[in-house]
Amino acid sequence: MSRSSLGVLVAAVVLLSLAVSARAGTVPPPDQEGDDTGLHLLREAAAAARLQDYTGTRFVTSWGISGASSTLFDVRHTAAGGLFVDDVSPREPGRWVDPGSLAGGMASPPEGMLRTLAGNYRVVPAGGGVVCGRDSLIVEALRPDGTRAARFWIDELSRLLLRREILDGAGRVAYADTFLDLTLPDPRPVPPATGSAPAEPPRVPSPSPSPSPPQSLPQSPPGPEELDRLRARGWEFSGSLPGRLRLFSASDAARDYLYLGYSDGLSVVSVFIQPGDLDETRLRGWHAQSLDGHTIWIRDSVEREAIWASGGHVYTVLADAPADMVDAAIAALPHEGEPGLWLRMGKGAARLLSWINPFE
Amino acid sequence: MSHLGERVSALVDGELGHVERERALAHLTFCADCRSEVEAERALKNRLRALDGPAMPADLTMSLLRMSEPGGPLPPRVRPFPDASRSFGGVPLPGMHSGGPPDNRPRGRAQSRGGRARRAGYVAVGLTSAAVAFGTMFVVGGLGATPAVVPQMEKFANQHKTTAPYGQLNVFGSASTPPAVPYEPARGDGAPYARSAHDTPTPTPRPATPAPGTPSTPPLR
Repeated sequence: MSRSSLGVLVAAVVLLSLAVSARAGTVPPPDQEGDDTGLHLLREAAAAARLQDYTGTRFVTSWGISGASSTLFDVRHTAAGGLFVDDVSPREPGRWVDPGSLAGGMASPPEGMLRTLAGNYRVVPAGGGVVCGRDSLIVEALRPDGTRAARFWIDELSRLLLRREILDGAGRVAYADTFLDLTLPDPRPVPPATGSAPAEPPRVPSPSPSPSPPQSLPQSPPGPEELDRLRARGWEFSGSLPGRLRLFSASDAARDYLYLGYSDGLSVVSVFIQPGDLDETRLRGWHAQSLDGHTIWIRDSVEREAIWASGGHVYTVLADAPADMVDAAIAALPHEGEPGLWLRMGKGAARLLSWINPFE
Repeated sequence: MSHLGERVSALVDGELGHVERERALAHLTFCADCRSEVEAERALKNRLRALDGPAMPADLTMSLLRMSEPGGPLPPRVRPFPDASRSFGGVPLPGMHSGGPPDNRPRGRAQSRGGRARRAGYVAVGLTSAAVAFGTMFVVGGLGATPAVVPQMEKFANQHKTTAPYGQLNVFGSASTPPAVPYEPARGDGAPYARSAHDTPTPTPRPATPAPGTPSTPPLR
C-alpha cells in the first residue's frame, strides 16, 4: 500500500470516528443495556435536571378511587443552588428538595433508581411529542407483557424531563407530573450518556465551602447487616412487596417508628410502622374501609394514604403509585386483629406470678 | 190408714212433702205404735249427731304434704306410733288411724336433692372464683399495654416526599436552608438500600437563587 493510500485510509478512519462520536449524543446504541434502548435518554434527563438552570410551573395529578387530586408547584433550579419547589397553596412555604425525590418530580432519578427501572421494565424510545411547546422525545417503560407502565417526555434541546406519566395495570394514567410552562435562560449542552452506568456522574460545582462535609454522612448504605440489626430490635418487615416493589431504605433513626421505602423504579411506596394502638378517635378527615374484614383508614390526596393497626403496631402507607399497586402492597402487609385474649391473660398471669415470686 | 212404716225415717229427716207430712202427723195422733217408733228414731239420730268426728291423723297430713311439695327437704316426720316393729322392709306401715299411703319412695331421692344443691353451690363458688381470677389476669395483662398513637402524618409525608429512592440524602427545610449536597454521585454498586432522610445532617446554608421572570410557554398539547 502506498503512502498516499495509507494517509487516505487513516483520514477516512478519523473522519468516520468523528462522525460516529458526533452522532453518539443523539442515538447511542447501548449494547450493555440490552433491550433498554431508551435508558440513556433517562440518564441524560437525570443529568440535565442537575445541570440546567430553569424555572417553571409543574402540575401534578393523581387519579385515585374517588377521582383526581391535583397540585400546582412553582419550581426554580440552578446548578449552583439546587431545586426550590414552592407549593402555590399558601399553607406551606417553599423548600429545597432533591431533584431525585418525589417532591422534586423525580426529575433526576439516581442511578440505582434507573437500574431498578431497567430491571423491572423494558425502557424504549417511542417517538416524539410536544410539551410546553417544546419538541420532546418520548420514552416508554414496558412491562414484561408489553403493556405500558410509564411514559416520559424529554426535552430534545436541554434533555430536561418535561412530563412523566405512570399507568396502572389497565393502561389508565394513574399519576402525571408535567410542566405547564418552562423557561430555560441558559441551556447547557448535556454530555451524552454512555450505554452503561456512569462511573462518575456529572457533579455540580459547589459554590461555597460546605460546613457539613460529606464525611459526616454514612459512607455505605445499609445492607443486610443493617436489616438484621433492625429485625433484632423487633421490627418485622419484608424486603419486597407485590408489584416489583423492592426495599430501598429502612431506618428507625426516629426511634419511635420504622421507615421503609419501596420502589419499582417508577413509583414509591413508603411504610411507617409505629408501636402502639391506633387512636381512631383522633383521625379526622379519614374514612374507614374494610379489607378482608380488617378496617383500614384512607384519605384522598395526591398521594395514596392509608392507616391501620395490626398486632400492636400502627401502619401508615404513603404512596405515589397506581391504585392497584398500592392495594396489593397494603394487602401484603400485616393485618392481624387485636391482641388476643389469651395473650393478654398470659401476660397478666406472668405479671401476677412475678409479683408474688420472692425470688424474682 | 195403715202404719207409717218406712215413712218414719223420712218424717224424722224432714223429707216428706207438705201433704204427706200432715197425713203422717195426723196418724201419729191416734197410733201409739208409730208415735213410739218415730220417737225412737229421733232419739237415735240425736245420739249419732252428738258423737265427735274422727281426727285427721298426722301421718296422713304429712304424707299428703310430701306428695304436693315441689322439692327440698321436709321436716322430720312425727310418727304417732314410733314403733320399729310397725315397718316392713324398712318401710313404715301405716298406722291404724292413718289414712295416707305408705311412704314407699326411695330413700335416696331426698338425699340427692340436698347433694345437688350442694353441688350447685360449689359450682357457683368455683365460677365466681374463676371469674375473679380471669378478670384480674385480664386487667393486669392490660396494664402497661401499647400506647394509643396517631400517625405523624406531616412528618411522614415530608419524609416520603423528600426521600430520593436509591439515592443520597434528601434535604428538606425552609427556603432559608437550601440543600447541603446538591448532587450526590449515584451509586454504581447497585445496592438495593439507601439512606433515609433521618440520616440527613444539618443543612448547609446557601443563598437562595432568586427566580427570574418566567415567561409562560404553552402547556402540553
